Amino acid sequence: MSKQVLRKISQGLFLLLFIFLFIQTESKGHDTLGYPVRLFLDFDPLIFLTTLFASRGGQIPAGFFLSLITILVTIVLGRVFCGWVCPLGTLNTIVGSLRRRHSNPPDAKWHRAKYYILIMLLVSSVFTLQIAGIMDPISLIIRSFSLSIYPLADNGIRVLFDTIYHTNISGLVGVSEAFYGLLKKSLLAFQPLFYLQAVFIGLIFFLILGMNLIEKRFWCKYLCPLGALLGLCSRFSVLKRETSEGCTGCGTCADACQAGAISQNNETWSNSECLVCFSCDDICPQTAVSFGFGRHKKQAMNLGRREVMASMLSGVLAVPLLRSTPLSKPAYSNPDVLRPPGALDEKEFLKRCVKCGECMKVCITNGLQPTFLEAGLEGIWSPRVIPRIGHCEYRCTLCGQVCPSGAIRRMPIEEKTKVVIGIAMIDKGRCLPYAHAVPCIVCEEMCPTSPKAIWLEETVVRGRDGKELIVQQPHIDLDLCIGCGICEAKCPVGNRAAVYVTNIGESRSKANQLLL
Amino acid sequence: MDRRKFLKTAAVTGCGLLIGEALNYGTSPSEAAEKYDLAVAHGAGKSPSEITKSAINAIGGMKRFVSRGDIVVVKPNIGWDRLPEQAANTNPEVVAAVVKLCFEAGAKKVKVFDRTCNDPRRCYKQSGIEDAVSSLGAEVSFIDERRFRDISIKGQVLKSWPLYRDIFEADKIINAPVAKHHGLAKLTMAMKNWMGVMGGQRGSIHQKIGESLADLCLVIKPSLTVLDAVRILTANGPQGGDLKDVKRLDTVIAGVDQVAIDSYGATLFGMKGSDLSYVKAGNAMGIGSMDISRLKINRLNV
Repeated sequence: MSKQVLRKISQGLFLLLFIFLFIQTESKGHDTLGYPVRLFLDFDPLIFLTTLFASRGGQIPAGFFLSLITILVTIVLGRVFCGWVCPLGTLNTIVGSLRRRHSNPPDAKWHRAKYYILIMLLVSSVFTLQIAGIMDPISLIIRSFSLSIYPLADNGIRVLFDTIYHTNISGLVGVSEAFYGLLKKSLLAFQPLFYLQAVFIGLIFFLILGMNLIEKRFWCKYLCPLGALLGLCSRFSVLKRETSEGCTGCGTCADACQAGAISQNNETWSNSECLVCFSCDDICPQTAVSFGFGRHKKQAMNLGRREVMASMLSGVLAVPLLRSTPLSKPAYSNPDVLRPPGALDEKEFLKRCVKCGECMKVCITNGLQPTFLEAGLEGIWSPRVIPRIGHCEYRCTLCGQVCPSGAIRRMPIEEKTKVVIGIAMIDKGRCLPYAHAVPCIVCEEMCPTSPKAIWLEETVVRGRDGKELIVQQPHIDLDLCIGCGICEAKCPVGNRAAVYVTNIGESRSKANQLLL
Repeated sequence: MDRRKFLKTAAVTGCGLLIGEALNYGTSPSEAAEKYDLAVAHGAGKSPSEITKSAINAIGGMKRFVSRGDIVVVKPNIGWDRLPEQAANTNPEVVAAVVKLCFEAGAKKVKVFDRTCNDPRRCYKQSGIEDAVSSLGAEVSFIDERRFRDISIKGQVLKSWPLYRDIFEADKIINAPVAKHHGLAKLTMAMKNWMGVMGGQRGSIHQKIGESLADLCLVIKPSLTVLDAVRILTANGPQGGDLKDVKRLDTVIAGVDQVAIDSYGATLFGMKGSDLSYVKAGNAMGIGSMDISRLKINRLNV
């Protein structure tokens, strides 16, 4: 079996593992998930380093140290992660294979773009800004899958089976429902999922895949900051590509190279660009190419002093730029941004959140949604609870379990149920017992704390006809409300609920408090 | 309910149970079938499943209600993400005992489901009900939104409502609620358990809870109701959470008349059936009888 076939098998298996773990990022009703669903993130050294820098020595989740293995492997073997493991890289390979011909190797200087991006991200993380997750390939693919691609596929399949179901053709429905049942148990989500910005996030993802049609592995070659980081590491690698004397300089290998790491006539080979895909090894008509171990001549990586300076500077400038928003004022916060329970104080939270979307994928009610600009540009695609879409389930602790960077703390149920993410308030102008002399106690019934944070007061009210009626009017106990939002979620006053949660009183903030 | 009232009720109930047992000595299930409207089985320290079996035997045995080849729906309360000891859901052993008796009576299929308030996966799992009954061969399924059908009710308040189709397709229905406190309805037991097959914005029926629940019982007619009072939730209902609010009564009540069951259930909390709006409405509409003094009650100690 050729090495290239081995590589393809590896890519396939890792993609399947990725998809398997992705699908397992969903509750089965137990308190834990049972699979190490964030494994790919744990092995990602880019978000490890940027989190380490940005959080300035704060506690780093133990799982993150697995990413050192990725670095070690890269130092020995080169960018095998990119060529053999990375699920985004594999998708790029697959889409790229739709493009028949390779383009001519472009000017090598385009390869540098990803290093500039990397430098910018690393520098800004040193200055406490964590934006690596926007472009980190693992964060990017999990976020795109979670918020867009998977819901899209899932809803599409549901529509198909629902259409068959409603035809009421008995034989057909029987077969399709049996098949649908199997899909529900295996691949489909438990419930239809809907996310804000799904279209936007999906378009970005398809754009990245589409770039493969311009040039194979466009993203990996020119843009990927993790690829750049591993490229830097692989400069020290002992993997060595050798060309024997039989080489005629025909350039076949350069054409086949996935990474554009070989110059036109096979004169030079760049180990920091090489994805170790073995395409050149397999395709060489003279079988003149081989890979082995040994020290190789280190090529100067000429990124250009000015360009490096410029990327560093942009990394520095990004920090005040992204933070030039009123949200930086200590006393101001967007009242509607309810962070999931266990989220660190906003500043610390943003230094850690890598926008991977794992928490939103696992959220049991679909209530965790990506922000757009509500938490500033710095906080784009970070999670917020929107109770009308889905409340925070009282005894669920999954978001803290899947967060790779510790932005959301992992907590036992007993602790989680005490964490305040906000406080509910009643809109007396809409609430039925207050405004309309109509009995209703749904918020109180749903309130999960014990004793309940919502209590009822029997009050005599008068209807239009002057008749007296006793109703129970709900009140919020500020000491007991944790802001889970189930009251808002289930309030029978449709569209805008008569009880709603804002983030005041949230445990994580010292400033945003209500009670003495 | 305060403690004194509770002790009083418990004492009265206890004496009743002792007398009941004396009377019940030697009766076989088939004889009991003709005699009693309600069976109340109490067994301090006994397993919930034993108590459940005794109660059902004392009302005539499961064969009275389930025939060979029947498709049976057993509808417990699985509304909340709570553990069995918190008494917010029907005790899993009670549900399992009912399911087992159904199969023993020859049921072809037993379906168990509820439209939950918390996340269904957590409710089914954490309540212990999914694991307890699926191992017996019951079909435990989550609510499928497509299976709600607008059902004409022609009640005082509810003219029609989307209700779960499986209820109407089943040969027999068994209601398996738990007895617990509720902020508006005061208590929730058998009649209110049918909210679990309502689709749509069911929360709205709290605006006229008594009439609405009675209306619902115009179209949902269980063959048997098994009220779980192994543990009852006396405050902070319907989901509780604090074990201080849970009282262990080790009691299961079985009967056909849901109004009578709820009326009797009220006494466990030191109330009367007439204290509950839906019991009164059900009585007035002739769905059942809330006057338990006129019922023949088979009380037995397990």
